[in-house]
Amino acid sequence: MTPVYQLQDIQMRFADTEALNIESLVLPANQSTALLGENGAGKSTLMHLLAFISRPQHGHISLGNQLISDKPSAAQRRRIGFVSQQPYLLPGTVRDNLRLALKLQQIPKATYGDLIEQALALVNLTNQADQDAATLSGGELKRAAIARAIAYQPDILLLDEPFSHLDQRHIRQLEQTITQFAAEQDKTVIFSTHDRLQAMAIADHSISLVGGRVTAAPLLNLYHGQCRELLFHTGRIIIHVADDASQARHIAIDPSQIIISDQPLHHSSMLNRFQGRLVQIAEESGHVRLLVDCGELFHAIITPTSLQRLSLHLGDTVWLHFKASAVSVF
Amino acid sequence: MDYFATSFAAAFSLIVNLDPEIMRIVMTSVVISLAASLIAAVLAIPAGVAMALHRFPGKRFIQHLLNTLMAMPTVVIGLLLYGMFSRQGPLGDWGLLFTPYAIIIAEAILIFPIMMNLTITAVNSADPRLVTTLQSLGARTLPMMQQVIRATRLAILAGIITGFGRAIGEVGAAMMLGGNIAGYTRTMTTAIALETSKGEFELGLALGMVLLIIAFVLNFTLSALNRSKA
Repeated sequence: MTPVYQLQDIQMRFADTEALNIESLVLPANQSTALLGENGAGKSTLMHLLAFISRPQHGHISLGNQLISDKPSAAQRRRIGFVSQQPYLLPGTVRDNLRLALKLQQIPKATYGDLIEQALALVNLTNQADQDAATLSGGELKRAAIARAIAYQPDILLLDEPFSHLDQRHIRQLEQTITQFAAEQDKTVIFSTHDRLQAMAIADHSISLVGGRVTAAPLLNLYHGQCRELLFHTGRIIIHVADDASQARHIAIDPSQIIISDQPLHHSSMLNRFQGRLVQIAEESGHVRLLVDCGELFHAIITPTSLQRLSLHLGDTVWLHFKASAVSVF
Repeated sequence: MDYFATSFAAAFSLIVNLDPEIMRIVMTSVVISLAASLIAAVLAIPAGVAMALHRFPGKRFIQHLLNTLMAMPTVVIGLLLYGMFSRQGPLGDWGLLFTPYAIIIAEAILIFPIMMNLTITAVNSADPRLVTTLQSLGARTLPMMQQVIRATRLAILAGIITGFGRAIGEVGAAMMLGGNIAGYTRTMTTAIALETSKGEFELGLALGMVLLIIAFVLNFTLSALNRSKA
């Protein structure tokens, strides 16, 4: 794996709150990576560091194999396209914004026309090229900002929460744009999201952030509480865990490790057994996602065949089982 | 009362008939104030933008200094520059005393802190995403400043107009450094002061009316600018 970014010992604090604490993180080149995390997990802070908009208070970041000690050079900056969570377009038309990006990145003027057309075509915004940026809809504005970020053909595209505040149609369009950019043009795409299934659907791999720290745990079924003698107390329920980590404050359970049944499984090695009410059934990416209220809400993923076999309906009482070892403690 | 009404009518007729003396005094005032505003703007806008965009030691001190200078009485500036420009002063050889240039320099110094402060406020109250967006697009220091000025141009223009308004209404420094020489350094405000001291109201009143009209136009432009910003 060729790394595009290498982060060492990164620490960021805002007032008294730790925003980011990353011992070591390597992000692969020419692949798409999803940064997963709840609000306030440190995704935007990390994105700003990767875009070199802010500097780490502690630690260092390498781009490619070059350590960026102060500010990146113009050539290094040109490698990165960044779209913030709520993009800002400068006064003028969409085309003016793209032209400005090319000018600031010191791209030869003769190539402006072609580059602008290509970028607008990729985000399907050719017809709005001469529209005043202030009159764009939310979805168009986001696409215009992406076009502006890719106009100078960077090889890294950073997107901070690109899917927030978008309707389903625009989400699908944007997913397509991202996969197209990453796959066809062999570029690195790093985007942040809080939707794990979406991350799985379009990213080659994902990184989870909890409380500013990188964790290997999935971020569905994330609970906060305290761990005492292999039991994790969320305040509502008690979950058996396999790691004795008294310092741990969070646990997460991979939804695919949860077994659903209509009867309790008495003769099983699984220590965790909860009765709950089925409150949501949704089809996502060829799987069925169930939401079960057992005092805490649990996400479980089953196949459409299992759904049929169990003949589940909303409001049904079901049983959840999972091993103590399926619980990530951190 | 009758006397006042007669003076008012005479003043009105002076304006309507475009009295040559009135026109000369108004032009002198406008040209001096425009030149002072131009010089102050050229220096204050980049300085204000640079100060708003950067953190450096002593920034807070400069901010306090600017606030203090904004409240500095014009006669103090007049006094200091008089000392500099008078024959015995360090810049006495330049022969600036009792010329329009001395007034222009004084007024530029007077309105510089106003324009710089209003520029800082304009940049600080701009959308915080403006700077991060420009950073992410690779803007270096100078292009960054250019784009920030472009995006906040209406608020900055409001600062320039406020500065011009202050310059054209200034009397202390203009009197001390210009010497109120007819047809050369006589501005609207110094002429009003002179006419009043002579007990002749017509010309003073006419100039006062012109000043009021200018103040009205400036205020109207300012509020129009504020409306278009919002």
